[in-house]
Amino acid sequence: MHGWSGNLLDIDLGTGAVRTLALGREVLREFLGGRGLGARLLWDQVGPQVDPLSAANVLIFATGPLTATGAPTTNRFSVSTRSPLTETILDANSGGQWGVFLKRAGYDALVVRGQAARPAWIEIAGEDVRLHDAAELWGQTVSATTAALEGGAPRRSVLCIGPAGENRVRLAAIMNDGTRALGRGGAGAVMGSKRLKAITVSGSRRNVPADPERFRFLVYEIGKMLRANPMTSQALPEFGTNVLMNVVNVIGALPVRNFQESQFAAAERLSGEWLAEHILVGRKACWACPIACTRQTRTARAAGEGPEYETVWAFGPQCGIDDLETIAEANYLCNDLGLDTISAGSTIACAMELTERGLLAGDLRFGRADFLLGMLEAMAHRRGLGDELAEGSRRLAAAHGAPELSMSVKGLEMPAYDPRGMQGQGLLYATSNRGACHMRGNMLGPEVLALPRLLDRFAVQGKAGIVAIHQNEAAAFDCLVVCRFLEMAVGAEHLARLCNAVTGAALQADDLMRVGERVWNLERLYNLRAGFTAADDTLPRRLLEEPVRAGPSAGHTVHLAPMLEEYYEFRGWDAAGVPGPAQIEKLGLAPLVAAADGAPQPAQSPQTALSKERR
Amino acid sequence: MIDPLLYEQFRDIGRDIYLGGLTSSHGGNLSVRIGNRIVIKRRGAQLGRLKPEDLVVTRLDGRDSGITRASSELIVHRAVYLQTSALAIAHCHPRTAVALSLSRDEIIPIDNEGSYLLHKVPVVAAEYASGSQEMADLVAQTLRGYKVLVVRGHGAFAIGQTLEEAFHWVSCLEEACDIILETRLLGEEGIEYRRHSAEYGKW
Repeated sequence: MHGWSGNLLDIDLGTGAVRTLALGREVLREFLGGRGLGARLLWDQVGPQVDPLSAANVLIFATGPLTATGAPTTNRFSVSTRSPLTETILDANSGGQWGVFLKRAGYDALVVRGQAARPAWIEIAGEDVRLHDAAELWGQTVSATTAALEGGAPRRSVLCIGPAGENRVRLAAIMNDGTRALGRGGAGAVMGSKRLKAITVSGSRRNVPADPERFRFLVYEIGKMLRANPMTSQALPEFGTNVLMNVVNVIGALPVRNFQESQFAAAERLSGEWLAEHILVGRKACWACPIACTRQTRTARAAGEGPEYETVWAFGPQCGIDDLETIAEANYLCNDLGLDTISAGSTIACAMELTERGLLAGDLRFGRADFLLGMLEAMAHRRGLGDELAEGSRRLAAAHGAPELSMSVKGLEMPAYDPRGMQGQGLLYATSNRGACHMRGNMLGPEVLALPRLLDRFAVQGKAGIVAIHQNEAAAFDCLVVCRFLEMAVGAEHLARLCNAVTGAALQADDLMRVGERVWNLERLYNLRAGFTAADDTLPRRLLEEPVRAGPSAGHTVHLAPMLEEYYEFRGWDAAGVPGPAQIEKLGLAPLVAAADGAPQPAQSPQTALSKERR
Repeated sequence: MIDPLLYEQFRDIGRDIYLGGLTSSHGGNLSVRIGNRIVIKRRGAQLGRLKPEDLVVTRLDGRDSGITRASSELIVHRAVYLQTSALAIAHCHPRTAVALSLSRDEIIPIDNEGSYLLHKVPVVAAEYASGSQEMADLVAQTLRGYKVLVVRGHGAFAIGQTLEEAFHWVSCLEEACDIILETRLLGEEGIEYRRHSAEYGKW
């Protein structure tokens, strides 16, 4: 295999049917893998009428052409589905080693459809695929499930859900290798709705570069860039992602108490520096990653992995909590329950503001660290108030008459950057296809870290193009399924050449960017088909109307309207945010749109994603 | 309406290119893409002394009167924006790069910075090296895979997300070319210090 095996494993949990299908060469060339392949398959298989928690939804696990080659960060894989939290198209990706094992098992992608009659788990050992009863695993935590299924010979990797997924909590993550998360958007609830507890994979097929000498050179060049970049060679290895806590706080872009303020007095005690000094016991890397940003930590009561910056923020400043040990324990618990930490923390913060405003009974107020762990358990098991929070902040705030207090876009809770202090980030959140997201082209790079160049973070004109380019690049990287931190050091010119060395293709840097643009537009079309409109490309009212009260971002709101107008123009969309016919044609999406509109297609259409059954 | 912050970028980068000796008094041009429009230097304006009124706004598709005042290289800038992900373009006439382009089809830096950042810079050529559609398409197609190139006997085009980034690439190119020239003038045998250096020619 040079990049792709061309195999897609298709498992129907309702019938027990297991098929290996051939992926069309044209589809792999146009979408590469990962998020792009997921979006392409989802377009055909999950229409706008499908309830995300019904048997008709699917889970698409996909690797990329670089997966398992050994080039830096080529350990990742993605899951695509229709989100039960946002009802948008969703993909999430994760590191660790499960993706490497799926590739080695001989598959570019795995589709799981239908619904099992009883809890089940899937064992994939190369071509040998079996469904097992999961009665004894149902109800178990992620760590217990992983311990029960991992090991053996050949060595296998475990992906599973915890109680949150089983209980269809809309914030539920899918976990792999114990502590890695396909975190955002509730894919864990989709897996739970299928009564699928776990998937183990093992295999021994190798992804061998088509041009090994060229591959070695490019890995060497990328390694040089990673070493030369202080984020990837010093900051992330030494302090983890939480190195950002002080950086973002200093500029007044750290959301505090449900985005009511933008600086936190106790940020220093939650910082990466503080973490390294007080609770860090080790660090760890995903497969083939020289960065090693994962933190291994220990508190007075527990030990585990994390917390990442976003998690420290979500349970810390966002909830008005300044106790790093409790925050770390909340992280361990989310890993074990299978919960997305960003959405969980921000939903709790929303509940805290509802309580402060007298709209929710009880004592769940800002700063109450003592409630944190209990509330996470209650959410995962849908007990008491936890049952309401399990629906996410948008549904919670609406149910209590204050929808404006959900700090979300399209229903996905915003990450740890106040866009009033980073205008481009505001546009990024508003236009992100899976809802507010910092992984779809984070403007932290150009607006704060000077990657690749420092922009005025309050400037508005010209930001739209930069946001769109970063979104396209992120989408392209997600099709190759490499880590976002690689993007801090190298861009499309390196990755396109690496892809060529592995697959034998002849991509230019801009061909790779075009793949990203194609995927972004296809996701947009999916959401439009599902009923989303330009009115959904917005931000919570607080960010548009309430200026930051103090600090370096004081006086600023997000000037979304002019950026959005420029953004639609840049993307070749009309004023309603709909991709125009010329844009659709340019990106090669016209046959897909025509097929979705019911137009007859040629029998051997090159757009056919899946062809004949392999066995 | 052009944001004063954007004008300042044109003014400062234009001045730096001129004072850096990378172009003649009235040579070279700069542009950025904003939405579906191009902001570009006025034809005949001095790059080192740009005033707000020296910036012209024209549609990406060229269907407006802005083309009457825009740089004569607008056709190249438009092709680049339509065919690549560029958000900014710097064009100038760095003399050592132009000199080297007269005798080679590609420039492969031998210094560390140039090797690191550019790997290889293509040289392209067309019968009409200024303002022709043929040249515009050739430049645009080449910049799909590279961030800077040299048009033989004419000058360099560099792209980036910002003017500053595009300026960085032409500046880096000229430094690399100066070093190639100066090592040739020294005439001493070189000592290779880069692993995989033979691969740079295939970049």
